[in-house]
Amino acid sequence: MSIATHVAPAADRKSAIQTIGLQKSYGSGAATFLALDDVSIDIAENEFFTLLGPSGCGKTTLLRLIAGFNFPTDGQILLHGKDIAPLPPFKRPINTVFQNYALFAHMSVAENIGFGMKMLGWPKEKITARVAEMLRLVRMEALAERRTSAISGGQQQRVALARALAPQPQVLLLDEPLSALDYKLRKEMQVELKRLQTETGITFVFVTHDQEEALAMSDRIAVMSKGKVLQVGNPREIYNAPVDRFVADFIGESNILEGRVLDDAGPGAFQVYVAGTTITAYGHATRGSAIQVLIRPEHVDVLDIATPNALPAEVENEVFVGSDTRLGLKLENGARFTVRLSNSPELDRQRTAGGRVWLRIHDRCARLLGAEHV
Amino acid sequence: MSSLTQQAAAHQAATVRRRWLLKAPALLTIILASVGPLSVMLVYSIMAKGSFGGVNLGQLSFDGWMNVFVERDPFDDTLVLADANLLILWRSIRLALITTIATLLVGFPTAYYIATRPEHIRSQWMLLITIPFWTNLLIRTFAIMGLLSNQGPINNFLIWIGVIDTPIQMLFTDGAVLLGLVYVYLPLMVLPIYSSLERMDFNLVEAGYDLYATRLKVLWHIVIPSCKPGIIAGSILVFIPAIGAYVTPRVLGGGKNMMMGNLIELQFGQGRNWPLGAALSICLLLIVTAALIFYIRASSAKDISHGH
Repeated sequence: MSIATHVAPAADRKSAIQTIGLQKSYGSGAATFLALDDVSIDIAENEFFTLLGPSGCGKTTLLRLIAGFNFPTDGQILLHGKDIAPLPPFKRPINTVFQNYALFAHMSVAENIGFGMKMLGWPKEKITARVAEMLRLVRMEALAERRTSAISGGQQQRVALARALAPQPQVLLLDEPLSALDYKLRKEMQVELKRLQTETGITFVFVTHDQEEALAMSDRIAVMSKGKVLQVGNPREIYNAPVDRFVADFIGESNILEGRVLDDAGPGAFQVYVAGTTITAYGHATRGSAIQVLIRPEHVDVLDIATPNALPAEVENEVFVGSDTRLGLKLENGARFTVRLSNSPELDRQRTAGGRVWLRIHDRCARLLGAEHV
Repeated sequence: MSSLTQQAAAHQAATVRRRWLLKAPALLTIILASVGPLSVMLVYSIMAKGSFGGVNLGQLSFDGWMNVFVERDPFDDTLVLADANLLILWRSIRLALITTIATLLVGFPTAYYIATRPEHIRSQWMLLITIPFWTNLLIRTFAIMGLLSNQGPINNFLIWIGVIDTPIQMLFTDGAVLLGLVYVYLPLMVLPIYSSLERMDFNLVEAGYDLYATRLKVLWHIVIPSCKPGIIAGSILVFIPAIGAYVTPRVLGGGKNMMMGNLIELQFGQGRNWPLGAALSICLLLIVTAALIFYIRASSAKDISHGH
C-alpha cells in the first residue's frame, strides 16, 4: 500500500498518455453530438488510471480514441510525447481488454494469447515461451488447449487479459472488463487486476461506471460527465474533496444541504447556516453567498441530547445492513439526511421512528461544493 | 394383477398406433416423393432398354451402367471408353467447381460490403440481391445469350471502339456457360455468407486490429474463419444445382457443350436409352451426396473440436 500512495517527485514523472484538447463529435449541423468536449488528461507511466462516469459520459469514446478504433475530430493524443492520433490501431503499442472479451472462438486459449505476437512476427519459440508465461501469470496453464467457448466467464476474462498483456504493450486499455462477472468474482478480479498491474508495471487505463471499483483499484481517477472531465485526482481526493455536486453525488453516498455563508472561520473555513443551525464547513466560498454543503453519511455522530452546532433531526427509519446501520432522518427544514453507523454489539440499539436526535458532524468533514458544471 | 398388465399392454398398443398415425403423413410424403422415384430409377438402370424408349421390365441388364463408362465400337464390337460421357461428367464437375470458386470470390466481398453497412441500408442491398430471383431463369439466361451473341452489345461495342474487327465467338463456349452459372447462382452464395457475417461480432475485428493484425490479416485470420459455416453452406448451395444445371448449358452452351443434366435429358429423349439415363442420374446423385457429406463433416467439425 505504501508504494501505491507514494507520490513520485514531479521531475521523474513521465507521461505515458497525454490528450490535449481532445474533441469527438458525431453527426453534423444541428444534430451534432459532442461525445468528448475538450478533454485534456495526463496519464503517468506505471499508473492505474480510471475513467469513471455514468453511461454516455464519453469514457468509452475516450478509450476508443486512445486505442485507435475511432479518430478524434480535433486535438492530440500523445504516447510518450509522440502524436499517435493518425496511426491505425495495429501500429499502436497499446492493447485493449474488451467488455465482452472478444475472444476468437475458432482458436484455443493458447492461440488467442499468442495471436498478437504472431501478428508482430515474433519467432515461434519466443511466442511459445511468452504464452506459457502469460498462462502462468493468469493461472490458466491447465486450460491452454481448450476452446474459448468451453471455459467460464471468469476464465475468459483472464484469457482476454493475458492476450492483451502478452505482446508487452506500453499501455493497456480495459473497457469495463469486470461488468459481466458476478459480485464475488468481480471482487477477486479487482485484486487480481491490481496485482497484474503492479507485477507488469504497464500503464493501465481502466473504464468503469462503478465508483466502488474505481476507488478500490485506481492510483488516480478522472470523473467524467457529458463528454467532459470534471475532476482528476487520487481516490481520497475525489472522495473527500469533490469539486462539485455531480462528483459528490456520483462517488459514494452523500448528503448535500443548501446553506448560506455567514462568516470566515479561519483559512479555508467558513461559518455556514444550514437547516436552522450554524456549522463550520471547509472549501472555497464568498461571504453571504448561497452554497451547498456535502456531508458523507459516515462522518456524523448521532446524539440524544441537544448540543451546540449539532443539527436537530427526526428519525424516519432505520435499516440494519450487517456491518452498518443506516438511519433515515429529516432535518428541521424538511431535507432528508442519511447517517451510516458502524455496528458493534455494545452500541446495538434500535431507534424509534419519530424520535429526536442531534447530528454532530465530525471535525473538518463538512465540505463546501463549487458551482455545478453545466 | 393380470388385468392391470392387460390394461398397460392395451395402452401401450394404443400409444404405438397413435405414433404411427402421427408419423404417417411424413412417411407417406417421403415414400411417394423420394424413396419411390429413386427406387424406380434404380430398377430402370438395371433393366434392358426398350427399342422405342422405356425399359423391358424383368429383363435384367447392366448395359446402362456399363454405358456410363464404356461403349461398344459400332464396327468391330470391342469395348472402348465412353469418352464423350466422361468428358461431360468431367466438364460438369469442373464447371461446378469453378462456378463455386467464382461465386465465392465475387460473393464474399459483396456480402462483407453489405454486412458492414448501416442496418437500414443493409436490407435495401439484400433486396437488390434477391431481385433477379423474381424473373424466370430461362428469361434471364436468354438475356445473357443476347448479350454474348455475335451481334450482341458486347461484340458491337468492341468493334465500335476498334479493339476487334470480327465478332468474338463467346456464345456456345464453356466460358459462356460459366458466366451464366455464376450469374444465376451468385445470390445463393451471398445470402448464407451475409447471414453469418451479420451475426459475427465486429468486436473481433477490432480485437484483431488491436493485436497488430493488418486489414488483410484480420480478414484471413479472423473474418473468414468466423464465417466459415456461411462459406461452406454457400458453396454447397451453389455446387449442387450448378453440377446438375440444365437450362444454362442448354441455352448458352449450345448442343456441344453439354453438362450432366443435358446428357441425362438426351438419354430419356432422342437417345432412347433410359437405363443409361437412369444410371447417369444416380451417378449425379452420388456426387451430390458426396458433396453433402463433406458439408456435414465440415460444419460439424467446429462443434466437436473441443480439446481434439
